[in-house]
Amino acid sequence: MFKILVIAETAGEDLTTSTLEVCEAAAVLSSSLGESWGMLVPDHATEAAGKVAPDVMSLGVGEDRYPGAGQVASMIAQVVESTDIVIMAATSTGKDVMGRLAQHLSVPLAQDCTGFEVVSGEIKFKRALYGGKVVVRVKLSGRPMMASFRPRSFTPIASSGGFVKAVTCTVNRVTPKTSVHLQAKAVSERPDVTEASIVVSGGRGLRGPENWHILEDLLDALGPDAALACSRPVSDDNWRPHSEHVGQTGRAIAPDLYIAVGISGATQHVAGIARSKCILAINKDPDAPIFKVADYGIVGDLFEVVPALAAAIRDTS
Amino acid sequence: MNIAVCVKQTADTESRPVLGNDQSHVTDKGLVWIINPHDESAIEIAIKLRDQHGGTVTLIALGPDRVESSLRQGLAMGADQAIHLHCEIMPEDSFIVSDVLATSIQTDDYDLVLTGEVAIDGAGGQVPQRLGVLLDWPCITGVEELSVESGELTARHPIEQGDEIHNCKFPAVIGVNRRIGEPRYPSFKGIMKAKRKPIEKKAVSPASPQLQTDSLELSTPRSEGKILIYKEGVAAEVVTLLRDTSKVI
Ligand SMILES: Cc1cc2nc3c(=O)[nH]c(=O)nc-3n(C[C@H](O)[C@H](O)[C@H](O)COP(=O)(O)OP(=O)(O)OC[C@H]3O[C@@H](n4cnc5c(N)ncnc54)[C@H](O)[C@@H]3O)c2cc1C
Ligand SMILES: Nc1ncnc2c1ncn2[C@@H]1O[C@H](COP(=O)(O)O)[C@@H](O)[C@H]1O
Repeated sequence: MFKILVIAETAGEDLTTSTLEVCEAAAVLSSSLGESWGMLVPDHATEAAGKVAPDVMSLGVGEDRYPGAGQVASMIAQVVESTDIVIMAATSTGKDVMGRLAQHLSVPLAQDCTGFEVVSGEIKFKRALYGGKVVVRVKLSGRPMMASFRPRSFTPIASSGGFVKAVTCTVNRVTPKTSVHLQAKAVSERPDVTEASIVVSGGRGLRGPENWHILEDLLDALGPDAALACSRPVSDDNWRPHSEHVGQTGRAIAPDLYIAVGISGATQHVAGIARSKCILAINKDPDAPIFKVADYGIVGDLFEVVPALAAAIRDTS
Repeated sequence: MNIAVCVKQTADTESRPVLGNDQSHVTDKGLVWIINPHDESAIEIAIKLRDQHGGTVTLIALGPDRVESSLRQGLAMGADQAIHLHCEIMPEDSFIVSDVLATSIQTDDYDLVLTGEVAIDGAGGQVPQRLGVLLDWPCITGVEELSVESGELTARHPIEQGDEIHNCKFPAVIGVNRRIGEPRYPSFKGIMKAKRKPIEKKAVSPASPQLQTDSLELSTPRSEGKILIYKEGVAAEVVTLLRDTSKVI
């Protein structure tokens, strides 16, 4: 059994983008520690795994492709014995599985890490505390070491092209403690907010859901890698789906570009977006706190500025 | 229905953390203490469930003396009683914390244990999952909607791909998100009543952390950027900055 194990999350027969990012982390760890790495996948994604990982262990999940985090963690606990490091993406499901698995194995867990350093053979995992105001490096005692990584903390690993042979492992199924089913949301052409490289986000300044078309138009101008987000009151009032809400009680994102439109920039909001590489804020109030964290700001009426911005992008592309 | 709510006292979001001299810990200096926002909503849901189904709401907080103020606040909201698992400093390894909480939970008889999904300061993000395994109960986390009908529990947990809908029997551990409902403010009557409600104080000695802090640093605040007043040409100027200077589009 390999020493560094990536637990895969799948989208149909493919691996999710955040899983490919964790593979990159595994490859870096592998070369700095001189240890082998491999991936544990549900059997329906074995082929996709074989294109990126040097070693694949395929777990028979049968017809039930949605067993739930509790079952998944109990199954994985049966096969990770001889690994040194177990890593997974810190998605909702990833965090859920890792929390349970860590307890099954009775080891500590560094959840939601943003990176790591290897210093003379010792791994230090980086995490954000106090809504990102403090960065901590932690060391894990206990084997295996367990960590989950926030989406977009690494660039996705490139496919090596070739397909490796997979080992199939069988585990005992446990009786699930809850019955669970997924009400899947409508399939979107756009990436999930946590995976998008550009995020356009709307706040209460938009006045109502009927005005979102101006953000959609900006999104279209920016191309297929852009996704929509919103502030909490916007999703609380059901102007937009909950899944788009970013911030302390929503999702934490780290796009290359975050465009905040009609958002005041409350600390709870900023907690979820502070890791963006570049922030552009559009607000009519020059004293709005969002300008304190923005790389670029435009003070003006969003109903004028956003269409002008979309037009300027189209003009120059 | 007997409900326990695990309450962590956390630093308020607006607080500016200050590091100790040895850079190994965050000092208590200048921090304003609040109930972890997700836990505050958990208390709200617990009170509502009790009012519908009967039973008691017990708050459980692990930490130093200061956490008592948060327990009083939860009692003032309407919880019936509280347990203060007292130790000298707040343990920040959720592995260790879960162990102490589970031991306390096991000595009493609960149908439901509610927690927040994550503490906003330490961001452990794992106590509910661990409690589920330790107690060998069903566990659902990230819950934004919860209902109880004829002894069965239904919970909605939004994930990236949609909504997970769970059903299970009691006893269960539920980790909630703030969005499950805004908490009430304690009323004046509630505050007066809370003064007489019991807080049972038990000394505990949590094990030393296995998630060890190697170093801490304050993040450099984002520096203020280039702010332009909108007029003709500004949109094009910003697009050029995004494309050529920042290279993000
Ligand atoms: C415990 C707790 C947790 C929270 N968690 C979150 C969270 O996760 N995420 C989150 O977002 N919030 C969160 N909040 C809420 C947060 O405090 C703010 O209330 C919220 O972010 C404000 O949303 P907003 O900026 O859309 O609205 P507002 O604060 O109302 O701001 C609207 C902005 O739009 C501008 N505007 C209006 N009209 C125009 C126009 N025509 N052109 C240009 N600009 C215009 C205004 O100047 C204003 O700045 C939380 C609050 C609490 C208490
Ligand atoms: N010291 C503590 N005392 C009581 N409950 C806690 C404590 N620490 C964490 N919890 C509970 O566990 C949840 C998740 O915490 P964490 O996993 O540490 O992010 C919190 O929202 C609380 O409900």
